Amino acid sequence: MILKKLLFIVLLSCTGIHVSAQDATQEANLKAAFIYNIAKYIDWGGYNNRNEFIIGVVGNSSKVIIPLQEIAKNRTIANKRIVIVTIDNLAQIKDCDIVFISKESPFSLSSILSRLAPGELTISESKGYASRGTDFNFVIVDQRLKFEANLKAISSSGLKAGSQLLKLAIITD
Amino acid sequence: MLSFKNMSIRKKLILMQVFTSVLVLVIMFLIFIITDVKAYKQRKVDSTMSIAQVLGTNSISVIQFQDPQAAMEMLNQLHSVSPSIIQAAILNSKGEVVAQYAPEGSKPIKPPANMRDSAHRFTDSTLMVTYPIISANENIGKIILVSKLVELKKTLRDNYRFAIILILVAVGFTFIVANVIQGYISKRLLLLVNTMKKVHKTGNYSTPLIDEGNDEITTLINVYNGMMEQISENVKKKDEFIGIASHELKTPLTTIKGYVEMLQMMEEDPAKKQFVDSAFKNVLKLEDLVKDLLDVSKIESGQLQLEMAEFDISQLVDETIASAQETSANHQIKRNDELKEVMIYGDRKRIEQVMINLLSNAVKYSPGEKEVIVTLEKNQHDLTVRVRDFGLGIPEEEHEYIFDRFYRTKGSSVHISGFGLGLYICRDIIKRHGGKIWIDSMDKGTRFNFSLPILTKTQQAEK
Repeated sequence: MILKKLLFIVLLSCTGIHVSAQDATQEANLKAAFIYNIAKYIDWGGYNNRNEFIIGVVGNSSKVIIPLQEIAKNRTIANKRIVIVTIDNLAQIKDCDIVFISKESPFSLSSILSRLAPGELTISESKGYASRGTDFNFVIVDQRLKFEANLKAISSSGLKAGSQLLKLAIITD
Repeated sequence: MLSFKNMSIRKKLILMQVFTSVLVLVIMFLIFIITDVKAYKQRKVDSTMSIAQVLGTNSISVIQFQDPQAAMEMLNQLHSVSPSIIQAAILNSKGEVVAQYAPEGSKPIKPPANMRDSAHRFTDSTLMVTYPIISANENIGKIILVSKLVELKKTLRDNYRFAIILILVAVGFTFIVANVIQGYISKRLLLLVNTMKKVHKTGNYSTPLIDEGNDEITTLINVYNGMMEQISENVKKKDEFIGIASHELKTPLTTIKGYVEMLQMMEEDPAKKQFVDSAFKNVLKLEDLVKDLLDVSKIESGQLQLEMAEFDISQLVDETIASAQETSANHQIKRNDELKEVMIYGDRKRIEQVMINLLSNAVKYSPGEKEVIVTLEKNQHDLTVRVRDFGLGIPEEEHEYIFDRFYRTKGSSVHISGFGLGLYICRDIIKRHGGKIWIDSMDKGTRFNFSLPILTKTQQAEK
């Protein structure tokens, strides 16, 4: 039930949800939904030979983990079951499909980026991270949740982002 | 307004053809316009639907990432690409508006509650289309487009204009064609009518009408020709009969006249002589009638011959007046001119016959003691004789028939005898002399006139 409600809010309610007006949970819900939706617009290529789609969250106190787990319960990405893992060890990073670098991340960005395997997508939520090398980065613009996209980073990770996704993104270098 | 019933066949034919063609054209154009409008609407639905479909596909991410700005940009682009779309909206699955544009002052769009996800609805001047936004089998929203049917009005206006122009042109052409076709029908009818009128006037029944068609009018003309043939056959038989009868009557009549004349000379007893006188007078009358019949039959068969010679018509007139005066003591027959010795070239006996006829008519048709005035007038070319009476007169409308065969004035009482042949014979005689005979209307009574050309012998010879 919670999931349904959440999805409703996140996916379907589009009447200008003002991020600042919501509490942190609300924002986390929205971010989880955005992560899921971004994943839908990515051409994942043939990198993942596993039976599941792994989203790794760096920073185990992140509020995004719970709503992501809700989504993972009965949704799939690229026809694969979604598995949410928290990353406590940098060695885990190479086994993920999406690495979400939360504000609570204990690791430096460069240490994370240096451990990425090809075909891995990075999403962050810290100011300037996109220009520093993550593929997507959540920002608040005019009290709305938006996302930046680093095209170079995306293509160097060996992935392709759909135009429908990119037209909504703030493109950074 | 002229009613259809009273129209001439010519007009009826034209009207019918023009009306038929206009009717056919109007029906055709109605069908054409209805089809055209239907096709236009279908095209409009199809094109608006496909725009909605494209827009719907492009709106998936907009809804997923809740980006009304991007949605608005999309709608604005749409507006500039297809300006006929006056209102557009992207709704989420709750029916809330994510983005929309609408003319200023207009109400936000709200689709009718009973409208399905993918549907269209026409109003007088707009088309509303709804299309679902579906992502991964999930209905996440709806596109609403309102398109103005600008071209519809224009198309209709163009169609109407085109139709009116074409109908006018068609009416023009049909009128021309109908005029040509009706000519074929009505001309023949008119020819028949005119021929019948002419025949009625001239009594010439023998010229058949020629018609090259093969329809009812041809049948009518053939029937007419058959009738005319029959009539002219009858007329011929009648003329033959008159000829034979008058001839056969004349022979015994001459004998009777001879004997009665002899009796008249021989009879001394006054009482008997009175009977004989009366018998003789009636024999003379009978002889006149038979003579008239003979003359008519001669005229009809072209056997009337003139014996031309020079004679003094003034003297002839005096003689006829004298003899007419003798037979009717009650009338005063006067001559009212000073002309003496007017020589003309003609058949004296026949001119005398004309004079006697006119004088006896004048006396006959002015019963009681009345005057009859005879006047001779002469100019360079003609001599005119006028016989004026003060009797019953002849109505003007009868003047044109008065010289016809067997015609008697409608006012003739039974007491006034005659076949109605006298004037017919007179006209023929005068015509053969190159003259004219006519009747003048008078306040009281009638004036008959005839004129004869005054010709010298050389002129006559030349003729």
